Amino acid sequence: MRRPPVIVLFVAVLVIALGESAGAVMSQLRPQVTRYAQSRVAANPQAHGLAGSAEYDTEVTGRAVFLAEAGLSFLHTHAQGLGPLVIFAGTIAASVVPWRPARGVLYALFTVGALFPLGYLAYSVAVLEQGREAGIEAAQRYVLTPLGSAAIIGLVALALLMVAARRGRSA
Amino acid sequence: MIGSSAEAWRLPPIASLLIAVLLIACAEVGGASMVQFKLELTRWARSVILARPAMHGLVGVRDVDEQVIDEALVKFDAGFRLFHLHAEGMGLVIIATTMTAATLARSATTRRALIALLTAGGAGYPFGYLLWSALIPYYGIQTGKTLAEWFVWIPFGGASIVGTWWLTALVGVRLVRGA
Repeated sequence: MRRPPVIVLFVAVLVIALGESAGAVMSQLRPQVTRYAQSRVAANPQAHGLAGSAEYDTEVTGRAVFLAEAGLSFLHTHAQGLGPLVIFAGTIAASVVPWRPARGVLYALFTVGALFPLGYLAYSVAVLEQGREAGIEAAQRYVLTPLGSAAIIGLVALALLMVAARRGRSA
Repeated sequence: MIGSSAEAWRLPPIASLLIAVLLIACAEVGGASMVQFKLELTRWARSVILARPAMHGLVGVRDVDEQVIDEALVKFDAGFRLFHLHAEGMGLVIIATTMTAATLARSATTRRALIALLTAGGAGYPFGYLLWSALIPYYGIQTGKTLAEWFVWIPFGGASIVGTWWLTALVGVRLVRGA
């Protein structure tokens, strides 16, 4: 089996390392993460629609902190899954796709797609800085959708190119 | 021509691959057992919890005790689920990262150390969740978690994190030198 270029491996391994570290942060530094998230919500009262009523503000803050922590959790799980996936998909592309330009496009898509889990870090930050709705919308539109689409397009293109290569060999 | 032999993968030691495959198999068995024996496992955990009322802070008032027992049982079940998820994931992570280390680490000593860290860390870490689940009925949620942290999650998870960042640095250096 052929390996993909070093840049693909670097990004995939980096994402795995970030995913593992995010898991450790969530587990060992949870109180600090929660305090930081609460302080960011308090620093952006308008974005979160804080009203000055302790009961209401506590509920709003709690929801924003929950979403920020969920973003970290999604970073952890997606990075652990997508990192190996990009290495394996890159290996299939390197071994099965005979056309160099097509392989190059696949590597580019996989490299960009491998960064998808970092979109959840952006999601966490955006929720805290811009408020719940606006933060989720921004993270989805500008980070998660483009990066996730790159991974999906790469995998679909790989499947199509595998079929084309097979037909080419049997013709 | 698809590529040169310099672009070929080198296999990690068979022991690493075997451990990764066994880990994935354990995860699948764990997932199946969780579903198949859910009732028996819950009954066992409940009986152990009831036999240790002081450890779980049970006070003999049904309404209060049932809430405490429910919380312990939810965490007991969560431990199994997290073992299932992490073992499936870490099995693949071990295969991917040890392949990369075997192929890109030039020094034999570095290669061996990296593969040992990635394999031992990745394979040991998920079992912390099983240990946590097993300890909850005996020692409660928090004590069980502390024991699992010190005996499994911190040493094995730490090894895995150190190994992965070391590998990232090594691949980064190869990338810069290659460029």
